[in-house]
Amino acid sequence: MSKSSLRDEPFNFELRLRSLLYLILAMLAALAIRFWVLQVSHYQSYQQQAENNRIREIPIIAPRGAILDSYSKPLVDNTPAFNIVVSPDLMTSLDETVKVLVEELNIDRTEAVAQLSDLKRPKSQPVLVKQNATRANRQWVSAHEYEHPEISAEEQPQRVYKYGKLASQVLGYIGQISSTQLEEPKFQEFGYRPGDIIGQAGLERTYDQILRGKNGKRIVVVDSRGRTIRELQRVEPIKGQDIVTTLDLDIQQTAEEQFDAANQTGIAVVMNPQNGEVLAMVSKPSFDPNVFAEHVISAENRDEVRAITNNPTKPLLNKAIQEIYPTGSTWKVMMTTAAMEEGIITPSSSRFACGGGIQVGNRFVHCMGSHGSPEIHYAVVHSCDGYFYRLGLKMGVDLIHDWVVRFGMGQRTGIDLPHEQKGFIPDRATKPNWKDFDTVLASVGQGSVAVTPIQLLRAEAGIIMGGEFHTPHLMKKVLSTEKAPEREYEDKPVYLKLSKTTIDTVSYAVWGVVNEGGTGTAAALPGFNIGGKTGTAQVIAKEKVRTKEHQDHGWFISFAPVHTEERPEIAMVVLTEHGGQGGRTSAPKTKMIFASYYSKKLGHPVVRDFLARNDQPAQITR
Amino acid sequence: MVELNRKTLRDLDWPVLIAPIALTLFGCLGIFSSAPGTDFWKKQLVALTLGVIGACVFAFTDYRKIMVEVSPFLYAGSLFLLILVLTPLGATINGNRAWLRLPGTSLQPSELAKVATILMLARYISQKREQGLSLKDIIILGAIVILPVVLIILEKDTGTALTYIPILGVFLFLGGMRKALVAASIAAGVVGLLAVYPHLKPYQKERIIVIIDPSKANPRGYGYQTMQSVIAVGSGGVLGKGITHGTQGRLGFLPYAYSDFIGASLAEETGLIGILFILALYSVFIWRLCLIALGSRDRAGALMVMGFVGLFMFHIACNLGMVVGLMPIMGIPLPLMSLGGTSIISVFACIGLALSVRLRRFVN
Repeated sequence: MSKSSLRDEPFNFELRLRSLLYLILAMLAALAIRFWVLQVSHYQSYQQQAENNRIREIPIIAPRGAILDSYSKPLVDNTPAFNIVVSPDLMTSLDETVKVLVEELNIDRTEAVAQLSDLKRPKSQPVLVKQNATRANRQWVSAHEYEHPEISAEEQPQRVYKYGKLASQVLGYIGQISSTQLEEPKFQEFGYRPGDIIGQAGLERTYDQILRGKNGKRIVVVDSRGRTIRELQRVEPIKGQDIVTTLDLDIQQTAEEQFDAANQTGIAVVMNPQNGEVLAMVSKPSFDPNVFAEHVISAENRDEVRAITNNPTKPLLNKAIQEIYPTGSTWKVMMTTAAMEEGIITPSSSRFACGGGIQVGNRFVHCMGSHGSPEIHYAVVHSCDGYFYRLGLKMGVDLIHDWVVRFGMGQRTGIDLPHEQKGFIPDRATKPNWKDFDTVLASVGQGSVAVTPIQLLRAEAGIIMGGEFHTPHLMKKVLSTEKAPEREYEDKPVYLKLSKTTIDTVSYAVWGVVNEGGTGTAAALPGFNIGGKTGTAQVIAKEKVRTKEHQDHGWFISFAPVHTEERPEIAMVVLTEHGGQGGRTSAPKTKMIFASYYSKKLGHPVVRDFLARNDQPAQITR
Repeated sequence: MVELNRKTLRDLDWPVLIAPIALTLFGCLGIFSSAPGTDFWKKQLVALTLGVIGACVFAFTDYRKIMVEVSPFLYAGSLFLLILVLTPLGATINGNRAWLRLPGTSLQPSELAKVATILMLARYISQKREQGLSLKDIIILGAIVILPVVLIILEKDTGTALTYIPILGVFLFLGGMRKALVAASIAAGVVGLLAVYPHLKPYQKERIIVIIDPSKANPRGYGYQTMQSVIAVGSGGVLGKGITHGTQGRLGFLPYAYSDFIGASLAEETGLIGILFILALYSVFIWRLCLIALGSRDRAGALMVMGFVGLFMFHIACNLGMVVGLMPIMGIPLPLMSLGGTSIISVFACIGLALSVRLRRFVN
C-alpha cells in the first residue's frame, strides 16, 4: 500500500490523526495549567493545610497554684491524675468514638456526646471526657492507639481540698468554663478558651488569674494516624502562683467544730482588726468542693453535684458575705458611738428611761426587762432596748442613718471574695411614710435593717480600733514563681475621726457585757479582756408556732483585748441560726474560738476535742 | 528484516526511547523517596532494563509478523491468564483481584491483555480489503474488546476495564467510522455515563462528588484521598520541598504515594518544575508516536501505534487528573512512573513495536 492510496479513502485519515494529537496536547496543557493553579496561585493555602496536617499543638496543662493557710499549711493542692481526652479532628466517626468511650471506658453516653458535639470548640482542641482514669483505662487507651488515635490519656493534676468541707465557701471550687461565661468580656479579655477549668467560686474564682498559671504546649509532627513522630518545640507550662491566705487552720477548725458539735448552722468570722486579715470564716451548712473537682465535666448533669447545688439549705452560699440579717442589739455599739460623737450623750450625762418599753402611736414596743433610768454603760451591758428607743427618737432617723453609713453599713466591704451583698439600711428615702415607730425599730437594729455579718464586723472592729477601718481580706500574699514576682496584699485603711472619750466609753461598755455579768458573760475568758455585744436577729414568723426554724438568730460580736492599754488584736462575729439569744448560743462559741486563738498565741497545743465539748472552764494561763 | 547497521541506528527514533527511560528513572526517584526502606525502586530498575531489552528486540522484529502470526496466540493466552486470575491462583491486592502469584513475583495479566487486544484489533484491520468500516467490522472490533473487558470487570477492576474504551475509540475513529456514527457514539457515551451514575456504589459516587464539589465530601471518607493529594500538589509550590522532604507522602497523609499517587508525591517534592519536566517528556513521547503513525506505510501499523497512544494517554490523563482533583479515583496508574514492573515491560514492548513501524516505513 502506498501513501497515495490512503488519500483516496473517503475520510481524511491524516486529519483525524492530527486532530487526535492536538486533542492530546491540549489535555496535557490543561493538566499543566491545573498544576500551575494549585502550585503557584494557591500555594499559600495548600502549604498551610499541609502544615496543619502534620503539625499539632498539644497543650500542657499548668498545675494550679496551691492555697495555703497563713502558716503555709496547704488547704488546697493538686494530686497527679490522668484524664481521657478526645481529639475531634482525628475522629473518623462520632458514633464509633462514643461507642468505645461508653463500652470500654465507662463514660456516660449523653455526657460524651454533649462534650464532643460542642460546636464552639475548635476542632484541634482536645476534649476532656473522663477524669481520674484508672490504670485499666490507660492501658486500654495505649493498647488501642492504632484503632483509635483520637483517644488519648493525658496527665492533668487534679484539685484536692485537703480538709473537705472546711472553709469550703471561702476556698470555692473549680469547674469547666460555661458557654455563658465565655461570652462575658472579662473572660474573653484574658484569653479563656472553651474547655478551660476555672475557679467558679470563692478564692478559686477571685484569684483565678493568679492560681491558673499559663498552659504550656508541645508542637509535634504527627503522621496521618495522629501518632507523634517528633517534637518540634516545647513550651513548659508555668505553674500557677501559690496563695498564702490569712486563714489560720487551727482557728478555722475550732470555729467549724463549734457548729458541727452543736449540730447548728450559722456563721463565724474571725478577723485581725489591725489589718483586716480574716483568720477564720465559717458558713454552715457547707459542702465538699472535692465533689466539683472530681466532676469538672458537665457538672450540672452529675447527681453528686446536683445534690449540692439544689440543696434547699444552700450550702454553696457564703452567708458571712452573701446573706443579710437584722443586726439586733449589736447595732447599739454604733448607736452609742454616734450619740457620743454628736454630743447627745456624754460620760457625765447619759441617762434615758427604760420604762419597760415605749408607746409609739398606738403601739407599745417592749424592752426585755425593766432597767429604771440607766446610764449608757449599764444600757449596753444589759442591752436595755427602752434606753435606745428614746435615744434613737432623740437622735432622729437621719442622724442614725448618716452615722451607720459612715461606718460602712449598707455597703460592700470589698472583701476579696465574689458576690458580696450590700445589705439594706432603711431611711426616709426608702420609706417615704416614715414614722416614729420605724425610728424606734431602727435604733435597735430591727425592722428592715439588714446587713452582712462581714459588714458588721468591719464596722464595729473599726470603731473599737478608734476609727481605723480595714478591708477584710483573705489573701495575705502571692508567692513568687520563676516567672512571677511575690505580691503582698495592699492594706488601705479608712480613718474616721472619733474622740478618745467615745472609744473608751464604748470599749468599757463592751468589756462590761462580758465581764460585768452582762448579756455576754458566757464568752468570758478570765484574764484576756474580751469585750462583746449580743444581738437577736428576729425571724419573722406568720404563725405563732415557735418550732426550731422560727427561732431567732443569735448574734455575738466580740473584740479582744479591750478596756486595757493594749490595742485590740482579734475581732469576731458569730451568728447561730435559729439559736435564740446570742448570749446563750453564740457567746460560748466565741469563747472557744478565743481560747484556741490564745492557746496558739501562747504556745499551748490547741486541743480541739476539749474545745468542742465546750466545757467550763477553759483555763489558759499566760 | 532490517539490518542492524549505522544507518538503522541513526534512523531509530531516539526520543521515543529516551523520553520513557527518563520518565521511568524519575519515577524511581519518587518511589525511592515515598517508600523509604524498601527496594521497590530497584525492582523498577530491573523492569526498566528488561523493558529496554524487549523494546530493542521488538524494534528489529517485523511488527507485521507479530501482528499477524503471534497476536492470536498472545490474545488467547492473555484471556487464559485473565481466567486464571479468577481461580484460586489469583491474588487480591487493594481490593482488586487482578494479580497472578508467580514464584518470587506477581503478574498482572490485564496489562498484557491491553497490548494483546491492540495487536488483535490491528490484525483485523490489516486483513481488511475495503476502506472505511462496515457495521460488521464495528461488531467484530467490539467483540475483540468485549471479551477481556468482561473478564476484567469480573475481577472488580473497573478502572482497568475503562482503558479499553479509548482503545476501541481510536480504532473506530481512525479506522474510518462515518462522522455521523462518531457523533452518535459520543452522544451515546455521555447518555450512558449519566444512566450509569445512579447505579454506582456509594463509595464510587463519593469519589465523583469530591471532584464536583469538594466542600460536600466527607473529609475523612473517600474524598479524603483526593483532598490529601491536592494538598500535596499545592504545597509543593514551584520548587518543591525536596526529594525525601515531602510531608504529605512520607507521613502517610497521601495514600499510595509510590503507586497511584506517585504524581502527587513528585509534585510535592519537586514542585511545578518537576511536573513540567514530566509533562514535557510525555508530550514528546506521545508526539513522536503520532509522527510514527503518520509515517507508517500501512494502516494497520498506524492504528496499532495510535492504539498505544490512546492507551497511554488515557492513563496519563486519568491518573494526573485524579492527582489534581479533576478526575475521580479509579485505580489507574501513571504509565512508566507508578510502581509496577509488568506495566513498565508492557509499555516498552509497545515502544519496541512502534519503533519497528518506524524502521519499516520505506521498506516493502
